[in-house]
Amino acid sequence: MKALRRRIRSLYQRWLQHRIPPSRRVQLGQRNIFIFPTGYGFLFLLIAALLFVAGINYENNLLLGFSFLLVSIFLMAILHTFRNLAGVVLIAGDLRPGFVGARGALEVRVQGGSYPHRSLTLHWPGSPAEDVSVEPGREESVWLSVNLTRRGREHPGRLRIDSRYPLGLLRTWSMIDLDSRCIAWPKPLPGGECPGTGGDDDSGRQAQDQGSEDFDGLRNYVAGDSLRSVDWKSYARGRGLNTKQFTDPAEGRLWLTWESLTGHDPEIRYSKLCYWVLELDREHRPYGLILPDSQLDPASGAAHRERALELLALSGGG
Amino acid sequence: MARLYQVPHHAFMWLLLAVLMATLPHLMRAPGWMMVVVPVLLCWRFLVQRGRLRMPGKIIRATLMVVAVLATLYSYGTLLGPEAGVALLVVAFALKTLEMFRLRDAYVVIILACFVLATTFLFNRDPLTTVYVGVVLVLVMAALVGINHAQSGASSWGHLRLGGALVLQALPLMMVLFVLVPRFPPLWNMQLNPERARTGMSDSMAPGEISNLSRSAEPAFRVEFEGEVPPPALRYWRGLTYSWFDGRRWSQAAPQHTARLEYVRFPDEATPPWYASLLSARGEPEWRYRVIMERTGRQWLYALSVPFTDKSGVGVARDKRLVSRFEIDSTFDYRVESYRFPVAVEGLEEWERQLNVSLPSSGNLRTRRLAEQWHQEAGSDRAFIDRLLRWFNEEPFFYTLEPPLLAEDTVDDFIFRSRRGFCEHYSSAFAFMLRAAGIPARIVAGYQGGELNRLGNHLMVRQYDAHVWVEAWLPAQGWVEFDPTAAVAPSRVEFGLDQALSDFGEQAGGFGANLRRNPLFSRLSHMTDYMDFVWSKWVLGYNQDSQFEILSRLLGQVNPQRIAVALVLAGGGVVLLVLGWVLWRSRTPGLSWWQKEHGRMLRLLNNRGVPLTQGTSPQGMVDAVAVSYPSAARLLQDWQRCYEHMAYRRPGQDPELLRRQLVLLRRKAAVAMRGAPRLMDKEA
Repeated sequence: MKALRRRIRSLYQRWLQHRIPPSRRVQLGQRNIFIFPTGYGFLFLLIAALLFVAGINYENNLLLGFSFLLVSIFLMAILHTFRNLAGVVLIAGDLRPGFVGARGALEVRVQGGSYPHRSLTLHWPGSPAEDVSVEPGREESVWLSVNLTRRGREHPGRLRIDSRYPLGLLRTWSMIDLDSRCIAWPKPLPGGECPGTGGDDDSGRQAQDQGSEDFDGLRNYVAGDSLRSVDWKSYARGRGLNTKQFTDPAEGRLWLTWESLTGHDPEIRYSKLCYWVLELDREHRPYGLILPDSQLDPASGAAHRERALELLALSGGG
Repeated sequence: MARLYQVPHHAFMWLLLAVLMATLPHLMRAPGWMMVVVPVLLCWRFLVQRGRLRMPGKIIRATLMVVAVLATLYSYGTLLGPEAGVALLVVAFALKTLEMFRLRDAYVVIILACFVLATTFLFNRDPLTTVYVGVVLVLVMAALVGINHAQSGASSWGHLRLGGALVLQALPLMMVLFVLVPRFPPLWNMQLNPERARTGMSDSMAPGEISNLSRSAEPAFRVEFEGEVPPPALRYWRGLTYSWFDGRRWSQAAPQHTARLEYVRFPDEATPPWYASLLSARGEPEWRYRVIMERTGRQWLYALSVPFTDKSGVGVARDKRLVSRFEIDSTFDYRVESYRFPVAVEGLEEWERQLNVSLPSSGNLRTRRLAEQWHQEAGSDRAFIDRLLRWFNEEPFFYTLEPPLLAEDTVDDFIFRSRRGFCEHYSSAFAFMLRAAGIPARIVAGYQGGELNRLGNHLMVRQYDAHVWVEAWLPAQGWVEFDPTAAVAPSRVEFGLDQALSDFGEQAGGFGANLRRNPLFSRLSHMTDYMDFVWSKWVLGYNQDSQFEILSRLLGQVNPQRIAVALVLAGGGVVLLVLGWVLWRSRTPGLSWWQKEHGRMLRLLNNRGVPLTQGTSPQGMVDAVAVSYPSAARLLQDWQRCYEHMAYRRPGQDPELLRRQLVLLRRKAAVAMRGAPRLMDKEA
């Protein structure tokens, strides 16, 4: 039974793939719009049927007419509901990466045609939905969150866009593949030794053990300094809050390397590297990254961090 | 508990209005407590929306429902049947509005509103009600659009427009379905209201009853003639005959132990001899017409003598009238051909003779003696009848709607003392005297006359045309009709009740009758009558028969395949037309309101002598005004800023507020420019 269901599902997916092939820009039309009555639609038709029977039995033409009117309204609602989705253009937009186990977000740009499209709902399977209305000739941007489960490029599945406007008696929907992928950074895994190598000496560094050889002096605490680098001993002695200054080991050439994390599962290696990237970034210390298939020269700052995380996410063909 | 569902404020007014208006026609008929309870419940719902009150809890709702059921039971004595059922439905529906906790409940309320609205047609069927129901349906649709519009800033009027458009677009398809969907006979028999009020003629008649009926201007039936319309003096619409007299009341009667087929024959039944002789004697029909009758709750139909019809379920009675197998519970129409028989064809059975000369064993002795005496003096039946009629005509008898009460011997008292009466008094006395003289006689009840409506070329017969007259059996001629009322008041037959009464210095029915005499009113009433006629004939009276007739004219031949093809073609055609229209309209995009506002400002400036081309940008307008009307430049700058806020969607602005500001600024600018001199551009 399960096998049969799986088989049907895969056939359906294949059919969908063929009918609505992936594309960065999709215009909705007859080809890719589906429509079906909602439960309320069936209730509405049931009421019309009841009135029809009553009209026949009481020989009451006005009741019959009313039931025909309800049926006609239902048929007209098919046109209007369909039209509300037809002509909408969906374009894959920007992305907002996230860590594995959390959420990222993808931008979908929704362009209207020559008439308004109201109350469109967009979502990926298993993620919360967003409502959007598009006025004629405008473009709305919708950020849809994506559950990230695996490091690398995450394909959130087919985007489901549906709408019940105007009467809610019918639902019209489409399932399109915008070919957009979110990026999932590895989940940071704290602990362990810093997988770093200084450029000059090859011995491993431990950032937690702020080695005395690199200690460069104290300066007054400035808001934003890491609490870790506060000289607590001197604080206890009543000399006020001071921050320990370290010389940049190897003058901006601390390399975080994949190689130094031998003996671990590759995903765990990425997670550990990720943790250290974040850690070093928080301490405003420059770092470089050497991965099996890529390399990032040492630097610091938010943009640098983003690039490092992206490399970590995409390394190993992820 | 999850957050309660809030009906969006832009949809709520339509929802509440739709609910109120859907229940209103029912409240008009409902017992007093409902007229209080339902509006109170709806007010409650309104205050909940406004945040002034809370939704009632489960216990209160359950209590209210139980009370509603009990009150309905108390008012109607039952919960079944349309009257009580609909009353309960209406109260439950109003209660349901206090139970909108989820979007689902809102849907249920709206879809129920359609149902409640439709049940109005169980009780009212006039065109006005129909229009009203249509309007309310638009509101219901507006509410449905509203709850499906997720944006909080949506416009209520937009919902109403779309709801209206949907209903209008659905109308053509509805008409196609109405005409083409095959009608079939009731699936099971449903009695609308067993204790139904009956109107019109009754199956018996006592003095004063017909004159009561004559105070009503309600329509009884309409007649549409094929060809010539008979003159007023021939418009005697027979309904039934009364053969039994108990001294005061005349009643319809058939002797015991007589088979039904002896006096009524329905189609598909064996042909009794009397019916066979009628059939064989009839030649060409004298009148052909169609009667569209209002519901009466009775079985007898009205027609000119001697009627035959091909309507199913309608039989012919021996006393030359039409009878329906079932009581007439809704508008009923039938086609009739009336024949004239110059000679007696059906014969007079002995039981019939005995029934029609029978009189109570005692009472009214003076009249009996007078009748016997005159009959002997006259020598023949015919001469006796003529003398009687002459006598009614010459003696000071008065025709009046308000006859005095009569003593126990009603006929004696009428003939020898009061001499003031309505048709039932004259007919009763006349028939009594014929029977006293041994001539078989009976009373015919029905309507006499009818007003010709030139618009529809149809006759309108109203309750005040109710009339009774007499039939006597004359051996050579058979049953012959005599109208003693015509002997007293000849204008009754020629010109109707109003004229006859005014001949005797009396006026019918007060205000209504005065209005009837007003020419403008009579024109108006002819028009409304015509509309009613068309409505009854084509909408209410459209049934299997008329459908068959129309379809055979349209399709040539009526069979399921052809109907199916016609349905698909006509229905599909209509849908395609609407589709085409909708798509065509959507290709020419409507301007958004701020674009329209731009256009208005441009026109204003052009009117004030600032020539600008169609595509001038707001900045261009500001520059031009700064030159021509420096005093208004400031206003225009503000206007431009608002405009750009709107057009470029700067966040953090309430669009409604912006719109108001734009309009206000434009008006101010108009005022400022009106007062100021226009400075000419240097180049100009």
